Amino acid sequence: MSYFFNISACLFLVILQTTVMSYLPLLNDFYDLLIPFIVYLGLSRPVRESLPFVFFLGFIMDNLSGSPFGLYLTAYFWLFVAVKGITQLLQVANRLFVITLIVAAGVLIENLIFLGTLTVLGPDQQLAGDATKAITIQVLWAIWTGPVFLVVFRKIQKRLDAASNAVYARKGKLS
Amino acid sequence: MVLIVGVIVLIAVNIIVLSVNSRRYTSFGLERVAISFISPFQELVTRSIRFTKDIWFQYFALVTIAKENRTLRTLLNHASEKSNLWRETDMANARLRNLLDFQKNIAELVVAAEVIGKDPSAWFKTVIIDKGKADGLIKGLPVVMPQGIAGQVIEVANHYSKVMLIIDRNSAVDALVQRTRARGVLKGKSTDQCRLDYVLRKKDVRVGDIVVSSGLDGIYPKGLRIGLVSEVVDHDADIFHDVILTPFVDFEKLEEVLVVLDIQKHEFVSRK
Repeated sequence: MSYFFNISACLFLVILQTTVMSYLPLLNDFYDLLIPFIVYLGLSRPVRESLPFVFFLGFIMDNLSGSPFGLYLTAYFWLFVAVKGITQLLQVANRLFVITLIVAAGVLIENLIFLGTLTVLGPDQQLAGDATKAITIQVLWAIWTGPVFLVVFRKIQKRLDAASNAVYARKGKLS
Repeated sequence: MVLIVGVIVLIAVNIIVLSVNSRRYTSFGLERVAISFISPFQELVTRSIRFTKDIWFQYFALVTIAKENRTLRTLLNHASEKSNLWRETDMANARLRNLLDFQKNIAELVVAAEVIGKDPSAWFKTVIIDKGKADGLIKGLPVVMPQGIAGQVIEVANHYSKVMLIIDRNSAVDALVQRTRARGVLKGKSTDQCRLDYVLRKKDVRVGDIVVSSGLDGIYPKGLRIGLVSEVVDHDADIFHDVILTPFVDFEKLEEVLVVLDIQKHEFVSRK
């Protein structure tokens, strides 16, 4: 059931980001919607289940974007590793404030990886100014909305788990 | 200890792979699978949004249409007078078009496509269109709009393609200032403006000049409009002008584009 949820969520977020968002001028500088999902995988799901989705999402986004191949893969992989590392060191999975910080840091990490690559492509003096503004807006959006996404992902996952458990229990009784 | 060494090695390998990939746009062939997988959904959602948008705007149009009708009737009388004059001009225009055989050529060489998805990243400017290999598209074809150049095809799946817009940082177009024929290389800035690099200081470039494609890059046909010069800055120590350009195409509202097919291949096919 969780694989079904992960696939649906991936597909929904990718489509939302590449089609619907472009019609909403207010969200022009919105952050990458898949970051909260990667953070959710890092915080709430086991590595064996999450890692294929981290790579799958990185692969899909690399191909849909004009970025050099591997950029999204790199960003998502290291973000996932960082979140897993943090949760193993500290018990923070349920603290809203810390979760907010993790999502904001995730947005920051992804943008820094992108900027590093853009600098390799060719240094641009104006880039620094543009980037500071864009990253600030993205981080603020992430602080404001990131935890909402995480809460929604967790709630849906819980409901799906409960539903599947009920189905298995009913099957068990019948047999 | 082993874990730390492992992480360091992984980071090193990652940086090397990324730097190699960043030097130029690399294609692994797997892109087609990803595009073909996601693009049907993008197409479905985009079409649904446009359908809803159309219904919404049509409702408001109906409300205002009665008011407009009265105004338009008055305007129509004035317009009929002018229309006779324009008809004459139109006929002259048609004769000239026939002379150049321009319309026939364009009709044969372009494929109209709809934009169904945009780049997920704010740092890169590409779009997904609903035409692909099956429609005769190949990598490197120029994509244009009636207003000017839009970009070039960089990845082709069976029914979908990825187009890099001229405002992308990786894009470069060999261009000319129409008035003075000063040559330069147009580069994207991933904003709504571009830079015209390597225009020599001794060449005359002014704000408001039109910039067109030179055709020397082997991708874009010569003479296609690109944009207007919006800023020219000259630094004392520099041998080039610092030229900022505003493209004619509004990339925020990009919905339909025209892909110019390979001219040589097209002629070869039609001859066969």
